Amino acid sequence: MNRAGGETDRRRRFGRLCESLRPDLLRFAWWLGRDRGLAEDVVQESLLRAWRSFDSLEDEGKARSWLLTIVRRELARSFEKKRPELTDVDALVAAESAVLAAPGDERVEEMRAAIFRLEEEYREPLVLQVLLGYSTKEIAALMGMQQGAVLTRLFRARARLRQQMGLAPGPEP
Amino acid sequence: MIDCLEFRRRVGAEPFDAGADVEAHRQGCPACARHQDELRAMDVVIRQALAVDPAPRLVAPAEATAGATRRRFFAVAASLVAGAAVGIALLVGAPRVSIAREVIGHVEHEPGAMDATAPLAPAALAEALQPDGARLHPGAGDVTFAARCIFDGHVVPHLVVQTPQGPVTVLMLRHRTLDEPLHLSESGYEGVVLPAPRGSIAIVGEGIADIDGVARTVFESVDWGS
Repeated sequence: MNRAGGETDRRRRFGRLCESLRPDLLRFAWWLGRDRGLAEDVVQESLLRAWRSFDSLEDEGKARSWLLTIVRRELARSFEKKRPELTDVDALVAAESAVLAAPGDERVEEMRAAIFRLEEEYREPLVLQVLLGYSTKEIAALMGMQQGAVLTRLFRARARLRQQMGLAPGPEP
Repeated sequence: MIDCLEFRRRVGAEPFDAGADVEAHRQGCPACARHQDELRAMDVVIRQALAVDPAPRLVAPAEATAGATRRRFFAVAASLVAGAAVGIALLVGAPRVSIAREVIGHVEHEPGAMDATAPLAPAALAEALQPDGARLHPGAGDVTFAARCIFDGHVVPHLVVQTPQGPVTVLMLRHRTLDEPLHLSESGYEGVVLPAPRGSIAIVGEGIADIDGVARTVFESVDWGS
């Protein structure tokens, strides 16, 4: 394949990945950063970084985990540079009300707000497990933690959500 | 055999845990089975709740906010993907100026895109256009490059069409709406961004004598889909 053809193929493959994975990356970044603008910027910057090191991705089947790791790092960098101005959760809920709204389903809207209010340490593994379908072992690898610690966080995340939804939280591990 | 406490710890972290010991306990303990069912039902709601759409603003017109300025930065940064730097000074112009510079910035820093001279296979062209529901009818010229590129935070079709007046770059910008045609002339490039049935389309070339005529031909060759 000539240079132009190789470049075209590379772009095509990267474009396909971006298109298929961008919604998940945006959701992940939004649930972690709780800010649409931040999520968009972080994902955009992450895709730029990913493009620059695309050749280092040996298995495109692992692209989602690879990109999520880049998004996590990019979010951390963003937080280092500038702490979000809004730290009051009620203000964050109000600011993100358009995304939090679940027209026609009060239960989903209530749950969405409850997850939004969860501490990040519980929110992140829950998003990875329930939304993105990762196993606790994979979450542990992504977050750089022991699997047992992930299980504890997931248990506590659900216990808090049960409490917020008016159910008994269950035994503490 | 695990006890109730261990069962509830396990399913509290993984409600769909179907390990043999979990299943065995579940069979012998209706209260724990009910608890797991509750958790599973709650997970269905959690999943629905997590499936937000955080991107509606992406398809809205750019607002004159700090966020919009930031996105413009990233839009230009996207053109760096192709390998060269565009000055930050480019970021502060009005939106019309910005789109012109973004288009030229993208075209300018696309190594390889203009090198190809052999017509692409129809399948390769379709692959670049199909996600946008568009097609290109014959008539504008041979397409020698087709890819999906990051532009302004969106993945857009990028084509190179060999017209009788020379090769032109075509960017189909579904996310950018325009009220009227916008002419570009910078760094030796001549181009035009035209309002389209879906967003807009940018047609840019070097040394093209009649860019409006070429742009019209290209525009008329595009089937924007339903």
